[in-house]
Amino acid sequence: MNPPGPLGALEKEEEHSSTPILGPSIHSDNPRERIQARRLRIAARLEARRREALGEYLDGKKESEEDQSKSYKQKEESRLKLAKLLLCGTELVTNIQVAADIREIHRRVEEGEIRRQRLEKLENEVKTSQDKFDEITMKWEEGKRKRIPQDLWDMLNTQQVHCAGLIEDKNKLISELQQELKTKDDQYVKDLKKQSDDICLLLERMEEQVKNVMKTFRQELNSIEKAFEAERRELLTSNKKKWERALQAHNAKELEYLLSRIKKVEDYEKQLNKQRVWDCEEYNTIKIKLEQDVQILEQQLQQMKATYQLNQEKLEYNFQVLKKRDEESVVIKSQQKRKISRLHDILNNLRSKYTRQIRQFEEENQSLTSDYIRLVTQFKELQKAMRHFALLDDKRFREIWLMNEEEAKDLISKAFDVDRIIHTQHLGLPWTAPDFWFLRNVGPISQQQQRSATQILEEVLIQTEEEGMEEATSETESYLDLPKQVSMKTTRKILMLLCDESGFLIESKLLSLLCPLEKSECYLLKLDAIFSALGIESEDDLYKLVNFFLKYRVHHSPSSQERTSPMSALDPGEQTDLERQKEGSLVGGEPEEKEVPSSPTLIHPNDVLKILEAFVMGLRKPRDPPAPVKVVKYVRDTSKDSAYWEALATVLPYATQNLWDALYTALEKYHLVLTQRAKLLIENNSLEKQNTELQMLLQQYLDSKINSELHVPPTQVLRAPTK
Amino acid sequence: MQSMQATLGTPTSSALSRFSTSTQDKSSTAGQTSSTGPQPSRPSIIPPPSKSKGWSTGASGGRMRRIIAEDPEWSLAIVPLLTELCIQHIVENFQNNPILQQLLPEHKQKVLDHLSPDLPLAVTANLIDDESYWRRCCTQRWPVCHVAKHGGSWKRMFFERHLENLLKHFIPSTTDPALILDLLPLCRNEVRRLRVDQFLPPMKLPPRPRSGELSDSGSEGEVEEPTPDHYQLGDLVAGLSHLEELDLVYGVKDCGMNFEWNLFLFTYRDCHSLAATIKACHTLKIFRLTRSKVDDDKARVLIRSLLDHPALEELDLSHNLVGDRGARAAAKLLSHSRLRVLNLANNQVRALGAQSLAHALAHNTNLISLNLRLNCIEDEGGQALAHALQTNRCLTTLHLGGNELSEPTATLLSQVLAVNTTLTGINLSCNHIGLDGGKQLLEGMSDNRTLLEFDLRLSDVAQESEYLIGQALCANREAARQRAPNPSCFLSPITAKGPENPAG
Repeated sequence: MNPPGPLGALEKEEEHSSTPILGPSIHSDNPRERIQARRLRIAARLEARRREALGEYLDGKKESEEDQSKSYKQKEESRLKLAKLLLCGTELVTNIQVAADIREIHRRVEEGEIRRQRLEKLENEVKTSQDKFDEITMKWEEGKRKRIPQDLWDMLNTQQVHCAGLIEDKNKLISELQQELKTKDDQYVKDLKKQSDDICLLLERMEEQVKNVMKTFRQELNSIEKAFEAERRELLTSNKKKWERALQAHNAKELEYLLSRIKKVEDYEKQLNKQRVWDCEEYNTIKIKLEQDVQILEQQLQQMKATYQLNQEKLEYNFQVLKKRDEESVVIKSQQKRKISRLHDILNNLRSKYTRQIRQFEEENQSLTSDYIRLVTQFKELQKAMRHFALLDDKRFREIWLMNEEEAKDLISKAFDVDRIIHTQHLGLPWTAPDFWFLRNVGPISQQQQRSATQILEEVLIQTEEEGMEEATSETESYLDLPKQVSMKTTRKILMLLCDESGFLIESKLLSLLCPLEKSECYLLKLDAIFSALGIESEDDLYKLVNFFLKYRVHHSPSSQERTSPMSALDPGEQTDLERQKEGSLVGGEPEEKEVPSSPTLIHPNDVLKILEAFVMGLRKPRDPPAPVKVVKYVRDTSKDSAYWEALATVLPYATQNLWDALYTALEKYHLVLTQRAKLLIENNSLEKQNTELQMLLQQYLDSKINSELHVPPTQVLRAPTK
Repeated sequence: MQSMQATLGTPTSSALSRFSTSTQDKSSTAGQTSSTGPQPSRPSIIPPPSKSKGWSTGASGGRMRRIIAEDPEWSLAIVPLLTELCIQHIVENFQNNPILQQLLPEHKQKVLDHLSPDLPLAVTANLIDDESYWRRCCTQRWPVCHVAKHGGSWKRMFFERHLENLLKHFIPSTTDPALILDLLPLCRNEVRRLRVDQFLPPMKLPPRPRSGELSDSGSEGEVEEPTPDHYQLGDLVAGLSHLEELDLVYGVKDCGMNFEWNLFLFTYRDCHSLAATIKACHTLKIFRLTRSKVDDDKARVLIRSLLDHPALEELDLSHNLVGDRGARAAAKLLSHSRLRVLNLANNQVRALGAQSLAHALAHNTNLISLNLRLNCIEDEGGQALAHALQTNRCLTTLHLGGNELSEPTATLLSQVLAVNTTLTGINLSCNHIGLDGGKQLLEGMSDNRTLLEFDLRLSDVAQESEYLIGQALCANREAARQRAPNPSCFLSPITAKGPENPAG
């Protein structure tokens, strides 16, 4: 039980410690035994005390661990006991070692002391012997000086005695030391013996310890086992008791259950009997009732059978019919099936056709769309061409018109010349040139077109400028341009004002560009920019603006009306203009404009912006819808043309023509006469000429030699008929 | 039944052949039929087929069969199986033809069971790992076998003890060193511990009479010119790759009355070679050199070689002549290694050495056990150690037995006891603590809850205080037992005592 390891180790250690201690101690036996005895006594006492203490301790523990089992207690007890035993045992064993230790220490101390003493003694001895030796050597010197042999003999004797003493001393020392050495040797032997004794004791103790420990371990084990067994027995008995008790209780309960069960069984039997009787009765009644029912039901069954027969027949008939129908329907079905298949075929065909057609149509559609696109482009091109041609036609028309007109006018003027000549020279009548409107007309007859605001502006500006130079001359013409509106001047003023005040509408870049330009041009461009910003495009817009200004003036400063009227009186042209404007405004449906007597000069520059704002707000609304109307091309009105040309053709009235005809015939006649006279005159002249020539020829011929040679030459003959 | 089959298998084998052939032959036929499967690889056992054919053609089968059936003595039990025979053969010829690894496990076991323990180690060492074989080897050689001391391995035990034996009886310049070195390749993986408690000096037959002639008191150094060096361990240790423990005693055992001082001479050359050896051995964990008259200089040489050793954990220089300088070297070693156990018991360390040890101990975090038994550190050294223990948080056991300590050390130690919580064992036996010192120690113990062992025997302490200290120790032990989760705490005091015992 006790592992041999530690003990073995211990043993070895003991050997270890004991071997190097070589020197034997002087008082070997007594102290050691004394010490051992003391140690043992102490150990025993200690053990007794410890046991007491442990007992108390265990008692205290028992109280605390009463709930623990007996075996556990026993175990704990044994454990403590064994631990104690082991502790004491090992202490007992190690005591030897400790004793050896202390002996060794004592030995060392004593050894040290002895060594010290010995060394001292040796030193002393050396000193004394040295002294003696010195004395002897001195005496030798002394002896050398001695002359008397007796003295020398004496001295030698004494010297010998001294030397012998010295040697004796030394020998004594040596023998002492040898004695010591011998004792040491003895001690070594003793020590060896003692150590072996120690070791024997140690072994004994260890064996005893082992035995003891084994014994106690066995005892403890036995006691533990006993405790366990006792506990087990206890447990067994207690469990048995419990078991018996439980069994008894179980038996009692079982009995109780049995009794109650018997009672219950009896009860149930009674109940069963009762129930049985009752059931029998009930059964009988029910049986009777049921038999009755059976009879009724049999009757019903018969009836039912009859009806069933009937029904069967009916059904058979029906079945036949249905069978036939079925056959028919089979036939029809097959037909239908065939039809269906056929229709399916057709459907498939149609489907394929349909798809094909779809494809085809798609293709067609595509081609058509492409055609359409092409046509549209063509149409557009055509339109373009047409526009171009229209323009060209217009131009050509105008050119032709002008040419024709020129021609006609030439003709007319020629006619008038002729007429004038006829009148003045032939008839001797005073001739006045007829004055017709169409004679003054140049170019094709047309309505006045809408001009753009800028054009108007340009005109206005130019005209006003011109006005400034030659007011009187241009005044009449300017009315033509502004037929129903305010006068040029007011317009100009308004525009100048506008131009000055609303410079913010012009881009700064433009302003910088305008700097080097002329004043009028500058104004023009500025106004152009302003109008584009305000959205004024057409002539009407411009006039509306001007009117708006005037209107505003009237509206917002009625007090100034008195002042304006004299102002307007100053300008009669303007007055008339206003009159006309009133008419125009009546036509335009703006009654407020009637009251416009404005003089734009009086519009305060600060008001311009307000007016403009109001105008722009007003302008937005009506301007939007008429935009698409512009697309419609201006169509020339040809109704007046024929009349015009007719008029041109009949510029000379029929009376004159008749006159001319008559004159013509008369003159013809006169001409005829005159021509005849001329002919005659010419004939006359030629004849005269012929006459003269002939006379000359005759003269010549008459003068020539040939004539003389020939009486009748051929040339003379020929010349005569040609003349 | 089997015989019937066998005969059916060889129906024509004659009765004559059956009777004439020896049991060996019968078994071979039986073996042929029974062990065709398991062992076809052994050529020596398979009988030549021609032979069996010869039998089969030999005679008529019917008669033979009847004879076998009627033969009352013939039974298979006495015929050993072929496998048995093979195994026997292998065992017999194992030395020349060691077949073991190729065998099936059961056969292997049988072979191992029958192998002789006297086989040469060169054959068995590297081939056999089986413990039972080595157990037989060990028990045959040594009557007492303590396998637990050899890590529970019989093989290791065998080799370790074999090697130790060889080393113990090695006589330099007489024994052939190859004897040991030849063993090296066989045991290099097994030997972990070398415990040699005897190194024989070289034979000195010629000088012996001379020394006897000269004088009894003559010193040995003068007489012997060749220094009595012992076996140099260098080569051996370098070859052992797993050596962990080295336990050496340079001395002669059982010299008895033939004692001579020079039998116990640890020479300088021995010392230097040993120092080089342990320095080169990086696996060494425990180094013990006891009872070898290691003085200061040798100790310094040895310890210098151990500085910064990677594995060393225990150094034991007990029962030597190490003085203060050696102790100082040991103190230096404490701070330059991971030493856990230092044993300087029974040396000549005095106050100075103890002070240097204390200085090293004050900040050491590795040392667990320090043994300074039977030195003479006296109160100065004891006080220095006590001071060191106030800061040390690692040392668990301290042995200061037989150090001439007295009351001042006891007072300081009592303060240490109140503060220190790592110390579990202190031994102050064989000192002169005195009555007052005992009382102070008792005071110190009253505050301590960790100390389990406190030896104050023969230190002049009053019995009362010793008894009370014992009580306190008992309480501490009980507390430690309850703290430990180990259920087998039954023997805890003993096991706790375990490390103390070898130290003492």
